[in-house]
This record gives sequence, structure tokens and C-alpha cells, in this order.
Amino acid sequence: MPNPYIPYLTKVKSIVSENKVNDIKTIELEFKKEKEYKNFEYIPGQFAEISLIGKGECPIGIASSPTEEGTIKFTIKKMGTVTSAFHNCEIGDTVGIRGPCGNGWPVEEMKGKNIVVIGGGFAFSTLRSLVIYLLDEKHRKDYGDITVIYGNRDPGEVLYRDVLDEWKKRDDIKVVLTIDREAEGWTEEVGFVAPIVKKVAPSSDNAIAVICGPPIMIKTTIAVMEELNWGPEQILNSLEMRMKCGIGKCGRCNIGNKFVCVDGPVFSLAELKKMPNEY
Amino acid sequence: MDQKILKKNQIGKLYKELSGEYSFFAPINKKGNIVFEKIENAEDIILDYLNSKIPPKSVLFPQEEVLFEYTLDDKDIEITDRQDLEQKYLIFGIRPCDAYSFELFANFFSFHGDWKDEIYLKKKENTTLIGIGCNTPRTTCFCTSVGGNPFNKENMDIFLSDLGDSYLVEGITDKGKALIKKLSWLSDATKNDVKKAEELAKKAEELITTKIDVDKVVENLSTCFEDPVWDEISEACIGCGSCAYLCPTCTCFDVIDETDHYNNRGRRIRIWDTCQSCLYTMETSGHNPRDTKIQRCRNRIMHKFSYYPTNYDLLGCVGCGRCIYVCPANNDLRVILDKIKKIEKKEGEKVVA
Repeated sequence: MPNPYIPYLTKVKSIVSENKVNDIKTIELEFKKEKEYKNFEYIPGQFAEISLIGKGECPIGIASSPTEEGTIKFTIKKMGTVTSAFHNCEIGDTVGIRGPCGNGWPVEEMKGKNIVVIGGGFAFSTLRSLVIYLLDEKHRKDYGDITVIYGNRDPGEVLYRDVLDEWKKRDDIKVVLTIDREAEGWTEEVGFVAPIVKKVAPSSDNAIAVICGPPIMIKTTIAVMEELNWGPEQILNSLEMRMKCGIGKCGRCNIGNKFVCVDGPVFSLAELKKMPNEY
Repeated sequence: MDQKILKKNQIGKLYKELSGEYSFFAPINKKGNIVFEKIENAEDIILDYLNSKIPPKSVLFPQEEVLFEYTLDDKDIEITDRQDLEQKYLIFGIRPCDAYSFELFANFFSFHGDWKDEIYLKKKENTTLIGIGCNTPRTTCFCTSVGGNPFNKENMDIFLSDLGDSYLVEGITDKGKALIKKLSWLSDATKNDVKKAEELAKKAEELITTKIDVDKVVENLSTCFEDPVWDEISEACIGCGSCAYLCPTCTCFDVIDETDHYNNRGRRIRIWDTCQSCLYTMETSGHNPRDTKIQRCRNRIMHKFSYYPTNYDLLGCVGCGRCIYVCPANNDLRVILDKIKKIEKKEGEKVVA
């Protein structure tokens, strides 16, 4: 076995600013060695430890879908030392990557089911990966109806406009966008995610819901889902915790006896109810 | 005769014979503290110590350790892996509790399927432990409550019993037995020597008077997550983290890049970290899942006595007592466990882990 702390090396292929205030960027990486890219087999919902050598490393959810072959994408909000360094990156810069880490969305178990994807704000990255995966021609037939409900503070914060527009043109996916308060030129839903979910009222029949977003959105949305008769094993969440290694060794991401990095980050609501409320 | 005798004045000879092949680590007195260090002079070795201040986990898991080195050349980056993992280690004079902690480390670092900590595991594989029984355990020792024993030989390659002027030498593993065979100058032990060692072992066990009902503690921990006992347990804690840093079973670490910008090279290192620090779980958003002292103290105890048994069917404590005598606030793990043991079970309490 090789040293698990040594990253594969990639080069920055493209950088896209995702929002008006320019504190969220999507960085596309190309592996320097084709063989290492082949080794990096991931599913939606997994994350990777990405690093700028000399600046540091941090865990980021993978925003691309494995069906988008050739490169891998990460959407990074400028927050601390490492994420700020990523925002100062130029095309061609070297980025280290270790992974894929974590369990990811259970795309195999989700087969044959209707899928409801609910996201809020910047947490939409691994949901982007999931929906692109589900809509891929190789996979679309394996899943039932697909509904996406995606909320943001204001229109300037909506990520991935290009793929959202593509999805809206299709008739095999329902896309509902909402913003917190009315804004000029906005023609879609207005309101927090939870009341919009209540309005859309997705059926729990033979369905799985995946929810990603800020804690308050998750909490209020789950309350609505329970009203709509969704069972705790049908609702999946992806958790965040501070991490260093991403591979179950550095210790800090435990919630009870589970490590978010290897046992998660995806947990069903049924699993979360058995865990201490320390996340 | 399988058992041999090593005279105390032969330790220099042993060192001379083995220090070429092995990195030879043993306890020394460093400014009044007993620590395990690489021996340069056999006369520095001290074996009449009780417990080392810094646990010998530091030999294979140093407080600061290189994960890899790198050179930065504008856009080109080169990474160099560790080149020193084939080095053979010999740890001489390790105590049974600390030797057991090496097994816990190896177990934890090899867990989680695909991801094994090859740096630690490779070093562990290349390590030979020559340990020594504890004739006079410290007052803070409680290894017998957590499945250990002052003369537990299980996790050693070679086991020594201090007979006064000499040590009884027993090969435990094949590796240990083979090494003893190479030391052909060791004299045979007599039946009397073996009997004396057995008596010392019996006496040592009797000297440990602390008896903790750990099974009951483990059972109670599965239902006492929200119990007010944690306020009481954490009240005196000042969050210094000494208990965790000096715990032979604490494995947690932080990772940082250290760059020498003048020479465009650096190293990614791991350094000991502790769940007793507020920053340990602080997320970049400012959210902190364990931002109170109660939560952090609870995590340390739960980790060792609930999460560890649940995940690996092992206790995460070896009973060395270091956390007891290093605590500046006099928090005593034995008292903490006793408080948990006495919690009366309430019906319908949420079971965690």
C-alpha cells in the first residue's frame, strides 16, 4: 500500500466565478497522469482532500459527475487560508488531490425510485453531481421521476446557471427554483425552501429525498417532509465536519462512534436520529 | 531452557550488539523527565523508572512527523515520499500498558478498509519490543481494571522481569525468540529465577488496589450522553489537553504545510492534536459542533470507553494513569469512571453508539 497522505497531482484547467459577489468559484482539474485519473473512480456525493502544496489541504465535495469524463470539478467558497488560496489560483497551477473520500449518495439503492433533490445555497455542489449522473443517458432509465428544489438568498447566488437551464429544457425532470425575497426580474418561486417544498408537496411513495443546505434549512425542510409522510429512512443528508485526513485517521470528524469522512458524509435521517446531536 | 538471564551490567553489551541493526530506543532521564529516545550511549538507559512522562508512542508516532516533502518550482511541484520506513526499530524497556497501546494504534490505523496509515503500520511492522514487567506499579496505575496486568507479556516480543541484579529474559513472539537465539552469550535461567519472577508478578498485581468496574462504565455510557454528570466531570477542566497529548492511545493529529520560501521547498507534517482543544472541531464557517468544555470532556471519555468498544471491541485505555498525574486541575479518570458507574439508568433514554 502506498502512503495515503500523498496526493495525485492535477492542473487547473478552468476557473468559473459562480456568483455576483465572486466568493464562490468552480475549479476544473485535469490529472497530470491518466492512470491516476483512472484510479480516481468516484460516485456523486463523495468528496476529496484537495490541496495547494505549501498552502494546505481541505475537504471539498466533488461537484462534477463521474459521467462528465476527463476532468473533475470543485466549487469552493472563499472562507479560510486554503480556500482563499484556491481563489487566487491561475489556470495551469498544480493542485493535489486525494480520494475519493466518503460513501457518497447511494445511487445503486436509489435505482427504481422517484428522486427528490432539495438544496439550499452553496451546498448544491454534490447535488449537481447527483442530478447530472441521474440524467445521464446511461442512467436515466434506472430512476423514476426526478424533482429538484433549489433555494438561494437572491438571484445572484444561484450556482450552475448553465446546467440549470439545460435541465429546465428537459421534460424528464422538474426544476423548482426559489429565492428568499422578491427581486427584480425574478420570475420563479419566492420563499424559503421549506414552504416551497410544502407547496410542491413531493410524494413519498417509492421515493428518496436528498437534502443539502444550511442547518436551519435542513431542520425546517425535514419538519415539512415528515408532515408529508416521508419516513426517516427515505431522507438522506450530507454532513460537514472539520477534517484533516479525510480517511478516518486524524480523529476530529466523529459524531458519536461514526466518522463523517468514512462512515458518511451521507447519512439517512434514521441513522442521524441514533447519533448524538453533535454536528 | 527457553528463559535466559541478562545481567544488568550486560545492557551495554546488548546495546552494542543491536544498535547497528536497529534504531535503539530506551527510556532516559532528560532534564528530570523520563522519555524514550534514540540511545547514543548505553549508560543513559534507565530501567528503574515507573512510567515515562511522555509515552513511547512518540517513537513511532512522533509529536511532529513528515508525511511527505515537496519542492516548488513556479508551476512545477515535486513530491518526495518518506524514504526511511524500512528502518528497524527496537524499543527497549517498554512497560506492558504502553506495549498494548501499540496494538491499539495499529488496530486503529489499519481500520477503515481502503485507507490504512502505511506510515505507522510499516514502522510498527519493523519494530521489536523488549519490555519489562512492573515490580512496583505507581499509585495511579490501574491496568488490571482495563484488561491489563503489570506483567502482561502479550504485546511484547521479548519480556524481561527485574530480578534485582539481573533480568529474566523470555522470548514471546517468534521474532523475539529468534533474537534471543542470536544473543548466544545470554546465560540460562534457573528454575529459581523463573519462580522468583512469578512471585514478583503476583506481588505487583496485588499492589494495584484500584478496581474499576469498566464493564458497567461501558454499559452506562451507552445511555448517559445527556446526563448532568458531564457538567460535574468537566467543571474543573481547563482544557489544556495534557491528558490527551500524553495518553498512549490518543492518535489524533493535525496536518500542516511548512514551507521554506527562500529555498522553495517544504514538508507536509502531522502534529499531535487533541479533542480537548476548542479549535479542534471549529469549522471555517465559525460553527463548532463541540464548542463547550462539557462536550469536549465527554468526547474524550466516550471515545475511549464507548466508541472504541463499539467500533473495535476493545477498550481505548490501557490504565497507565498518565492523565491522572499530569492533570493540572486534579481531574482523576478513576473518579470520573466511578461517577459514570454510579449513574442510575433511566427508562427511555436515547442510546448512542
